[in-house]
Amino acid sequence: MQTKTPTSLLKRRTIITTALGGAAMTASTWRSARAQTPVTLSLAVWGAQAEEDAFNAAIRRYQQLHPNVTIKLEVSGNSSQLYQMVDTRLAGRQAPDLFRVQYQQLGRYAAARAVVDVSKYLDAGYDKGFLPAFWQAVSFKGKPHALPHHTDTFAVYTNRELMAKIGVQAPTSLEQSWSWAEFIRISRALKDKAAVPYGFAMSWQNGAAYRWLPFLYQHGGQLLNADSTATQLSKREGVETIAWTQSWFKEGLVPPSSSIKSSEQPQNLFANGTIGMLIGGDWQIPFLSKNMKAEWDVTYMPRDVGMASDLGGNALAISRDCKNPDVAADFLKFMVDEANMEDFVTAAQFLPVRSTLAARELPYKLRPEAMGVFVRQAATIPVHMVTTETLPNFAKINARLTDELDLAFTSGQDATTTARNIDSQVQPLLAA
Amino acid sequence: MPRDAHMLNDVAGRKSRHVWAARRRFLVPYVFISPNLALFTAFSFAPLLYAVYISFHDWSLIGDSEYLGLGNYVRLFKDKLFWQALANTGVYAAITVSASMAFGLLLAVGLNRRLPGRTVLRSLYFLPVVVAAVATGTMAAWMFNDNYGVVNAILVRLGMGRIAWLSTPQWALPSLAIATVWVRLGFNMIVYLAALQSIPSLYYEAAKIDGANAFHQFRHITLPLLMPATFLLLVLNIIYSFQVFDLIYVMTGGGPGFSTTMVVQYIYQAAFVTSEMGYASAMGIVLYVLILAFTVVQWRASRQSESVL
Amino acid sequence: MRALRRRIGTRTSDLLVWLALTAGALVMIFPIYWMFATAIRPRTEIFASLVALVPHAITWDNFAAIWQRTPLLDWAGNSMFIAVIGVVVTVFANLLCGYTFAKFRFPGRDLLFFAILGALMIPIQVIIVPEFLIVAQLGLLNSPWGVILPRAAEAFGIFMVRQFMVSIPDELLEAARLDGAGEFNIFLRVVLPLSRPIIAVLVIFTFMWRWNDFAWPLVVLTDHAQYTLPLGLNLLRGENNPEWGQVMALALLALLPMLAIFLAFQRHLVQGIASTGLK
Repeated sequence: MQTKTPTSLLKRRTIITTALGGAAMTASTWRSARAQTPVTLSLAVWGAQAEEDAFNAAIRRYQQLHPNVTIKLEVSGNSSQLYQMVDTRLAGRQAPDLFRVQYQQLGRYAAARAVVDVSKYLDAGYDKGFLPAFWQAVSFKGKPHALPHHTDTFAVYTNRELMAKIGVQAPTSLEQSWSWAEFIRISRALKDKAAVPYGFAMSWQNGAAYRWLPFLYQHGGQLLNADSTATQLSKREGVETIAWTQSWFKEGLVPPSSSIKSSEQPQNLFANGTIGMLIGGDWQIPFLSKNMKAEWDVTYMPRDVGMASDLGGNALAISRDCKNPDVAADFLKFMVDEANMEDFVTAAQFLPVRSTLAARELPYKLRPEAMGVFVRQAATIPVHMVTTETLPNFAKINARLTDELDLAFTSGQDATTTARNIDSQVQPLLAA
Repeated sequence: MPRDAHMLNDVAGRKSRHVWAARRRFLVPYVFISPNLALFTAFSFAPLLYAVYISFHDWSLIGDSEYLGLGNYVRLFKDKLFWQALANTGVYAAITVSASMAFGLLLAVGLNRRLPGRTVLRSLYFLPVVVAAVATGTMAAWMFNDNYGVVNAILVRLGMGRIAWLSTPQWALPSLAIATVWVRLGFNMIVYLAALQSIPSLYYEAAKIDGANAFHQFRHITLPLLMPATFLLLVLNIIYSFQVFDLIYVMTGGGPGFSTTMVVQYIYQAAFVTSEMGYASAMGIVLYVLILAFTVVQWRASRQSESVL
Repeated sequence: MRALRRRIGTRTSDLLVWLALTAGALVMIFPIYWMFATAIRPRTEIFASLVALVPHAITWDNFAAIWQRTPLLDWAGNSMFIAVIGVVVTVFANLLCGYTFAKFRFPGRDLLFFAILGALMIPIQVIIVPEFLIVAQLGLLNSPWGVILPRAAEAFGIFMVRQFMVSIPDELLEAARLDGAGEFNIFLRVVLPLSRPIIAVLVIFTFMWRWNDFAWPLVVLTDHAQYTLPLGLNLLRGENNPEWGQVMALALLALLPMLAIFLAFQRHLVQGIASTGLK
């Protein structure tokens, strides 16, 4: 049933050129070619100033080692603009050579063969250097289609002064994490005793519904069954988790503007004292250090029957339009080697995905003790959740989650209906 | 002259100077519109036809495509979300078009008087039109923010409570409408002002002699003579409201729930978030046909009452 | 006596209208004042939950930061190039096209005119991908021409020009033809000099649209050196934590040229639209 892409009708000439380019650069010739011919590669990313600076620093180092290679950094305004740009340019066979991609989005590109299988550029055992969960996250049908660059995860930021006011000590180890009930009790206390407008807020705005899944796993539930062939949110655990997160809004523990479709930036609310706690990612540390007057700390995610936190972070991939995938792969390996990964994550407050780096204390520029909490919390990212979030259709699944959970949080749709709707809408996306 | 076109081939043998001149005159209009026609063909009509072609396919934009026939259109007719988005768009258009045109007319009538500083006033009202759309959405989201926005800060200072502008279904649409009217008002005012200035004052003098009061003058002279301007503005405002994107994307993201999801929002999501370019194209074509039909109906209606074109 | 009373009545009603209009104008410019207030406000005040209407302290750091951090002059230069060339190409082509629709009878005229008006109604999200494929095929990606050419034909402009030119007397054109003038010469020498008002309208609106264009340049221009001001603004807005003061400062700076143009042409704008026969 598969036919030519509509693009090919218009773009035949370009495709032929690309094919010739690809043929000319076979594996046997690339080593010699790389040494002489000048090569220009484009790398499309998004990110805050610190990330942009860190990318540029790594690029400079690479170009010093390989004077014939020029890497052009193209920075998009945000991740959704990057995907729109990359997709459009893939359709026109003009995609950037390399691009930054969230683990949740990679499956989509891999399944469409829009990114290159990089396994042939890697030595045997190369994967052993990475934490298994992230190597799994970049693998599609057993082959790596990108290299893991960094991760990040969620923990709870607390306002020190307000916590002292209600006399609560934050947990200092994973084992002591607050239970769901304790967490709610503390949120209520913040509202009632410390007169904070809202107890807390969760950072899942602009459609990041997948960040709801850790709560589901904490409660012992899963969106999909073990082999990802069927949905199971309507089970008791699923419905209860929806009801629990919905109760945050019903009870007024979180600001109404903190639902999933909103464009609210809850870190602003934490900085100005509208909320006492912020469930957010490690990348908020630079912002809070700069903008928040009050003192703050970081503690672990609440737990229920289990512990879980968000799968964040990005990989770097080579697009199918890249004419020098060998050089691109060499640059990728450089970007994720131990020294460069350490440099990147410490400069931009992210977590490493190499086991050697994860095992030791890194010299973070800001709040190393708070980063320690995120590092330890990252160990609770559920492997099954990683499988779910890296499915080729996950972008569609996430859109359904966004729609239905937002209805539950803002428009009073009950938990059972929400679970049933998600199950029935996600099920057809699994067969494909 | 059209007959010359058919003759062109037959007369090639006996090409007289007269025929050459006639042919040239026949060609002139086509030559004159050709630059625009070429641009439109390359950058509007060809893409539109191509979008029609895509709409018959299942295409992710990044992968292979599959022929679906009318599949996307069948899906669209069964898709409750599409119809909800269309209904939302209709409500949004009705509110924003009527409000921005009514206020625009009111301002134009006021600013057509001899008032001190009216040039400054006109400029102030027009100013929002020239602000970049990227900035408008950001600015509006910033001002309407429930928690640190200036609108609520003013309400609190006036002794009223905070309103959850962007996060409750009942307030989200009004917030968007206010921002839209703010953007659109100046343009409508300027066009109405221009239309008012081209009404000869003679008509009013005559009406005064007949003893008509201000309201009667407005009702029986001003309004009818503003019909062509009203038609133009109606078409432009409706097109604008049906195509609104940036403002809503930045302010509410289509939420809470589906309360501010517009068709173009849904098209964008299908195209670039869930990778369903074929479906996005089908929705786009349907939206295009609807706007077109709407305009033709309006044009017919206004042509009956007053000659416009 | 009656005349005097009527004059006093007019005075009072004028005063009331003036007060209402002034109050309305203050509401209208408040958001722009707010951009300014945010741009000069110290960082610590920006997120106050009950924000002060007048900043307690003033800082120009945000403007300085923009100057240092962004290639502001490059972006402004690109915006200016695209807007100016865009205006020249669009206004000339629209005048020629609108004139033809107003003053020539030819087979297919009405059909073509409606097709062109129809182009006004195509939502950009529908054709953005096909249009990109065409522009890519033409090799115009990452070039200002890739922004200028696809937007050079403006249905709105053609419509306005046609409305205006209908009122140019046919006798004038016939007289020129009898004198043996060529059609293009007639357009240049007879029609254009009569079209100053509509040209002013087209110049203002086209400049404004090209200066503020966002969705299309975002797809075509990928190299930061080629960026326009709205793209730069978008970049500054960023993924997670925009520097709000800087965003507002840049938005204000981008507004200044438009403001200057509008103030300079304000009178011509109203007269120009009035001359299109919207009577």
